[in-house]
Amino acid sequence: MTDRERTTEQLITEKHTELLRQGFHLWPELKEGKPPAMGDYRWTADLILSTWLQAETGMPPTNGLEYRVGNSAGGFDVLDFKFPPEDRWLSSNVAINLSIPLNRRPYDRHIVIPIPFYGAGMSFGSISEQVMCARAKAAQTWQTFTCTGEGGYPESLFPYKDHVITQVATGMFGVREETIQNAPIVEFKYAQGAKPGLGGHLLGDKVTATVATMRESVPWVSLFSPFPFHSVYSVEDHKKHVDWIKTINPEALVSVKVSTPTDIDMVAVGSYYAGAHILHIDGSYGGTGAAPEIAKKTIAMPIEFAIPKVHRYLLQEGIRDEVVVMASGGIRTAYDIAKAIALGADGAVLGTTELVAVGCTRCSNCERGRGCPFGLCTTDPELSQLVETDWGAERLSKLYRSFQRQLSDILRRLGLASIRDLVGRTDMLIYRGHKGAR
Amino acid sequence: MYHRYHIQTSLAPEVAPFPNRTRVKVKKPGLAMHLLEELVRYRRNPEVALSRPCVYGVFSGPVGGFAPREHSCVGCLRCTIEHPEMVQVYPNPEHQRLGDSYFTPEHVDTVCYEARTGRIPVKGAGYRGPFGGTGWDGMWTDMSEIVRPTRDGIHGREFISTAVDIGQKPPFLSFNEQGVATGESARTLSIPIPVLFDVPPPSVLSSKFLQVVVAAAQAAETLVVLPVWVLKRFALQGQQIVPLVTPEDPNALTDLHFTPRMIELEGMNEALFREIRMRFAESTICLRHDRVSRQELLEHYHAGIRVFHLVANYHGLGRDGRFVLDLIREAHRAFVEAGCRDEVTLLGSGGIIAAEHVPKAIICGLDAIALDTPLLVALQAQFLGECLAREGSRFRLPRRLSVNWGVQRVENLLASWRDQLLEVLGAMGLRDVRRLRGEIGRAMFQKDLEREAFFGIEGYDR
Repeated sequence: MTDRERTTEQLITEKHTELLRQGFHLWPELKEGKPPAMGDYRWTADLILSTWLQAETGMPPTNGLEYRVGNSAGGFDVLDFKFPPEDRWLSSNVAINLSIPLNRRPYDRHIVIPIPFYGAGMSFGSISEQVMCARAKAAQTWQTFTCTGEGGYPESLFPYKDHVITQVATGMFGVREETIQNAPIVEFKYAQGAKPGLGGHLLGDKVTATVATMRESVPWVSLFSPFPFHSVYSVEDHKKHVDWIKTINPEALVSVKVSTPTDIDMVAVGSYYAGAHILHIDGSYGGTGAAPEIAKKTIAMPIEFAIPKVHRYLLQEGIRDEVVVMASGGIRTAYDIAKAIALGADGAVLGTTELVAVGCTRCSNCERGRGCPFGLCTTDPELSQLVETDWGAERLSKLYRSFQRQLSDILRRLGLASIRDLVGRTDMLIYRGHKGAR
Repeated sequence: MYHRYHIQTSLAPEVAPFPNRTRVKVKKPGLAMHLLEELVRYRRNPEVALSRPCVYGVFSGPVGGFAPREHSCVGCLRCTIEHPEMVQVYPNPEHQRLGDSYFTPEHVDTVCYEARTGRIPVKGAGYRGPFGGTGWDGMWTDMSEIVRPTRDGIHGREFISTAVDIGQKPPFLSFNEQGVATGESARTLSIPIPVLFDVPPPSVLSSKFLQVVVAAAQAAETLVVLPVWVLKRFALQGQQIVPLVTPEDPNALTDLHFTPRMIELEGMNEALFREIRMRFAESTICLRHDRVSRQELLEHYHAGIRVFHLVANYHGLGRDGRFVLDLIREAHRAFVEAGCRDEVTLLGSGGIIAAEHVPKAIICGLDAIALDTPLLVALQAQFLGECLAREGSRFRLPRRLSVNWGVQRVENLLASWRDQLLEVLGAMGLRDVRRLRGEIGRAMFQKDLEREAFFGIEGYDR
């Protein structure tokens, strides 16, 4: 189409899309330095820019940007790998296996993903349909998964249905028989790290007519997902939920997403006995949607502490080999993924990292007015045009590629041929101590 | 008649200029050149050329980017991403000067938002701060995956009580053969929110400020501690006022024109305590205490004190340099070990500057907290240098402080903090804040979690 044939709105969108993409390319080159107001303790300007760079090149940066750790002075940021001398590294001829199984029980369908991570639940409404499809397309390319979050299953996701986890959460928004039947994996969201114990809240501004239709609600009225499941008071009740799902879709694997209370180890065991294949623990520092600041900072423990607690308890109980532990909530880099696995997880679930790859600056304005000014966490028809599905999928794929390279490199330097051999290997970590956040 | 506690909120925008978090700098020659280029490129459609990169209206003034409306900037950086060579968004140095080294600009921002809107601060994209840290930052609170006080919604029919009792409670009840209660009975006063207002620093004492705190305390059905000389000089009275008496002025209460619900004694003076107890038999007497030693606290308990107000400085440091969190835990433990914790009330102030600190302080052992600097920040008081000790700290209140505005700001702050307390209680499945007191099992401390998680990792030697 020529300029004359395009509408003003299309031209405006094209103009800003082009400028934004130029910016995502230019800033990581550091010719203008780093944006002075960018970044925070957890996601430094270096981490944001390096993620943009990886999403463009598929490679970790070589220009000095720190792409492995943030500046939070704790957790993953004070852990490092204890790499042995070079003569003990694996040779580059040795194939490195990054695949992980998502069902470790002897029965039910066996799914293996070739990279030890998949995409976190982000609902239609909290993010745009374009971003949702971009994530699904990247998941399809990499034979891994993304998750619907609690907001329904847009028809545009159908082509990727073999790589989409359907989430069932307390509001049951968009949960229908066909969306359960579509799903290779069904995720029960009991709680989420960003708002542990508080349920969900989609602000009225984001509940457009389309979102409302999808969620079977009223446009422009805030939607609350209550907390907790009103039908669950015990492990037995949870088992009942799993049975419902298995009745509708006997092939589906079941994931249980929980937050990180003091008794997360007991929760893990309960979930296992209720029949979960995947235990997804979501630490308190992550989250992509809007959440009360007090909940993010104060309620529940960070994922770095929850992983070893769960891993060791499952080992003690003799059931570690039968359940897959996926960790999320503040996992930003390939190094964070590897550290989470060394602490005891089988794999990681990525949320914010994916949004950063497609242009998030972590400005925290997801809930304000029309939503994300970069077209990510918004349902605004104009803003959401800033992200095209193919462009987004390409960037996510490149980021995955970079993470794959780094994970392979980490394993090679540790002398391990499989990511599965890294699980719980805290002896391969070194603690760098608190230097204080700068 | 049943009265459900509710704090009425209403928008109360700042009356004094409040520096924005960011500033926006635009290279004007570059902008002029860019505009020209775009006008040529989109000559058939000037609307496209003039469309601006900001969705918050920073460049929506009559001259666009030539005079950016910085107050609208939310720091999203879209403008600088689109135009790296032309627009720069950077942290506002004026904003970074807000507060002091303890009450950081981020804390000031949060308290001002709460006082302006009465709402819970909500943001997207996860937590942005340091991993943990010292003091309150090294502590997390528990939650439950499936337990909830009720299933009726936290802001709906679900009721979580935030009421606390202050005063003297007997360790047990005694009854005679007829089943009639005998012996000592509880003498407590109840407030519907575990937050009182502490004595303000001398630098802000003015008629208007005092009217604000007294009226706000009345509206919120809580208490405000004020020195007796202030009550006399400004002719203040009311059931919400707690007169503060110093041993240096033993006759201070002689011409008090009302019977307070509570009287606070600054430092222990047994003669004065006995005299006040005799003259104001109906009033609860509280000892304001800035030292925490097990021996001293128990001595005061044996002398008849049942309400203690533990005071740290504005940075949360006690006289021995320990942080208020440790002081509260020690005081609480002293009474628990002596078997009399349920007979006493512990109030605390100093270093409690955020909503999250209230449940944390209660978990550590307080029954209620007394607000100090957050009240001033809610009223847009400016810190003049580092503010540690109450007496020496200097704050400047805005010139346009009005009583109605001030009361609304304080009410908004209380409503926001109470709602956040409800969130924390709800997440734990508790329906009464009194059940949170001293529930240390509801807390997770960084040093404990880290020891458990990282034990055995090389380099970790704690």
